[in-house]
Amino acid sequence: MRFRRPRSWMQWARRVSQVLFLALFLALALRVRLNENGAPVVDADLFFKLDPLVSLSTALAARTLAVIALPAVIVLVATLLFGRFFCGWICPLGAVHAAASWFRAKRSAGTPVERRTPWHRVKYVVLVALLVMALFGAHWTGVFDPIPLLFRSTATFVLPAAQYAVEDSSTAVYKADPHVGPAHLKLVTEPVYKFARNVLFRVDRQTFAGVAFIAGLFVLIVALNLVRPRFWCRYVCPLGGLLGFASLRPALRLKNDEKRCTGCGQCVKACPAAAQPDRPGEWLPTECFECWNCVASCRRGALAFKVENPVAPAAAGKVDFSRRAAMGASAAGVAVMLGFRQNPLAQEKVFEANLVRPPGALAEREFLQRCVQCGACMRACPTNALQPCALESGIEGLWTPRIIAKAGYCEYNCNICGQVCPTGAIQPLPLDKKKEIKIGLATFDKNRCLPYAYGRECLVCEEHCPTPQKSIYFVEREVILRDGQKLTLKQPQVDPDKCTGCGICEWCCVFRDTAAVRVTSANETRNSNNQPILPGGGGGSPY
Amino acid sequence: MKSTRREFLKTSAVIGASTLAPIPALAQAAAAPADMCIARWKGDAKANMTETARRLTEEALKAVGGLGRFVNKGDVVWVKPNIGWDRTPEQAANTHPEVVKTIIRLCLEAGAKAVKVGDNTCNDAQKSYKNSGIEAAAKEAGAEVVYLDKNRFAEVKIGGKRLDTIPLYPEIMECNLIISCPVAKHHSSTRMTACMKNFMGVIENRKKFHQDLPYCIADLTAFLKPRIAVLDATRILTAHGPTGGDLADVKVMNTVAAGIDLVALDAFAAELLGNDPAQIGTIVVGQEYGLGKKDYKSLNLKELEIA
Repeated sequence: MRFRRPRSWMQWARRVSQVLFLALFLALALRVRLNENGAPVVDADLFFKLDPLVSLSTALAARTLAVIALPAVIVLVATLLFGRFFCGWICPLGAVHAAASWFRAKRSAGTPVERRTPWHRVKYVVLVALLVMALFGAHWTGVFDPIPLLFRSTATFVLPAAQYAVEDSSTAVYKADPHVGPAHLKLVTEPVYKFARNVLFRVDRQTFAGVAFIAGLFVLIVALNLVRPRFWCRYVCPLGGLLGFASLRPALRLKNDEKRCTGCGQCVKACPAAAQPDRPGEWLPTECFECWNCVASCRRGALAFKVENPVAPAAAGKVDFSRRAAMGASAAGVAVMLGFRQNPLAQEKVFEANLVRPPGALAEREFLQRCVQCGACMRACPTNALQPCALESGIEGLWTPRIIAKAGYCEYNCNICGQVCPTGAIQPLPLDKKKEIKIGLATFDKNRCLPYAYGRECLVCEEHCPTPQKSIYFVEREVILRDGQKLTLKQPQVDPDKCTGCGICEWCCVFRDTAAVRVTSANETRNSNNQPILPGGGGGSPY
Repeated sequence: MKSTRREFLKTSAVIGASTLAPIPALAQAAAAPADMCIARWKGDAKANMTETARRLTEEALKAVGGLGRFVNKGDVVWVKPNIGWDRTPEQAANTHPEVVKTIIRLCLEAGAKAVKVGDNTCNDAQKSYKNSGIEAAAKEAGAEVVYLDKNRFAEVKIGGKRLDTIPLYPEIMECNLIISCPVAKHHSSTRMTACMKNFMGVIENRKKFHQDLPYCIADLTAFLKPRIAVLDATRILTAHGPTGGDLADVKVMNTVAAGIDLVALDAFAAELLGNDPAQIGTIVVGQEYGLGKKDYKSLNLKELEIA
């Protein structure tokens, strides 16, 4: 026979909370692009401030308490009292996983009951390894921390893909213009297109190099919900691990009334965390997401969350993380950190020409200690210049931002990347200070540049050069063409004292494959060892 | 342009009516609108440029017959200023917002159904539209501000001497009238840029034009067949153009010119910038194409002093 499905207001409140926080997250990710004349984008970094792991690992790696955000402290303290409510109620990636878990086929009666497994330990190992790495200044938390992970995936993959879909389909309709009499389909699609483009996505479509790997990780962890509900949250998530450690003795505890419990196992099936709600004294507060599914699933009302004295020993299961596992995780963290450093780039023996960092980026080591690879700067960049690194800064700098000038250039009159960076890896500089920063240096390829190599006028780069006194200037020189004809052409040159390395010359160069003028990281303000140019011009001294 | 035929009919009707009407020929000539008008501010030198720009634009356009001469009721007009650079109005890299605003208002007063404003910018469009002051001014005047979509340009056969096809922006081509309203400024390749070169903002794949700008621009202008343009010389950029950025390169002229001959307007702009029009490739080739006369003084020219 079929029982009436039990209800729980708390379960519904939790679902509403998840939807609202996910919507807020997406709204903020969309807003990061809105540039009110360089003014800071208010509260777009809210979720980074709420994330205790971002605060903790950045503080360790950058060796400063200044990066610790108050909301993160509040979340951590609240977790001591209420357990991993963040995972169940706030985390937007948790919401994505919860939604994806619905796609799992309903478990048949024969499915084994889920218990804690040794795999639950993985997230603690990941957490400890990442924190030990951070302690030694190798900051890789952002690769796995759910907030940077989801922000990066949203900024570089989800939103650009959504915009592409809207724009390309409506442009196809616009061009083909299907209609029946006066009823044109584009009368419907054009307003949608203009709203999406001008209001929602804030104009030009972005696209990111190497996004397949970012999207691949995201799709993979979402797909893993088909293996186990909230696979990522229960086994892998380092933030879940941190919050798990904080929930050893919460005040809010699940109570199982043994007099009412019939051992039917419905609560176990409903639990996405394998937190063992069915067993009195074996409920796992370190694993529980406080989702209220078990309470809602119990037809006899045997389960309830109750507030208890948090100092009292929990009549509950302990965290499954032995001293041996902690040592192993620490050793792994040290090994990975050392591995990262066995690279000429990491030891400043060489500088990567293609590693042009955004203006205001700290010196490379300090930059890497702060950057959480969230992609906020990439989303904010109005020209799509900021792109995720592959290995330009070693594996340590995976998905950190760099400028690919062929994709976009650094807008002279813009400082938004520093304004939206949640950790200060890119400093929030006022515009006049930003304009003084050199991020690289332009170099002409005279074997390719038209007035040098092909006997033609061009000068598009000089025209675009944004510094008021033109860092690219031209010299008129006579060239001889194949028939002996002499032609005076304007040949562009770079003034290294003035060039900021913005890359607009490379971006606008008529060559779309390899530009005839290219910007490399040479002369960047942030790394004093990468400055070949003596400031103030050549001496021309007779001695 | 869609309205050409309509305008032709209208003009024919006017001519027909005037030949029938017993008006002395002299009086008729005096009433005929000028081909080009240069309006110079001779009032208070410290007057607010927003004020002077508005007055000068109004008077210059009135002298060439008012926008009613070019705009028909129900037309959609594309106003094409320079908005190419993320610069402020005083830096003179973009058209003065008040000039744009006045043109839009006059278009709507002349019966235009809609006025759209947009440019294929060089810097980021949002920042350029905003910091140029043009987005706010255009919206205030009741125009639709359009952000051009690079994926919408469509290759069109123009059959020019130098260019056979170019990617044009369909939404602009659907308009009944395009009004080029550039700021006069220095340009390294062509030495100066104004009305004709301003059309580079309705196309894509334009960078290669720099290998032969005079002919490419003439081909484009010949295809577009502009009927009216407004030259903003309220302040001009005399060096480090077309981008500028240094106020030392900006010269306040308090002048606006309007006319039906873009070669003539460009020749006037060249003179303002200290060039001999005969030395400017785009102007010489423009005349060679029959797009207009570089000797703007030989036209039915009206010079106004506004105070």
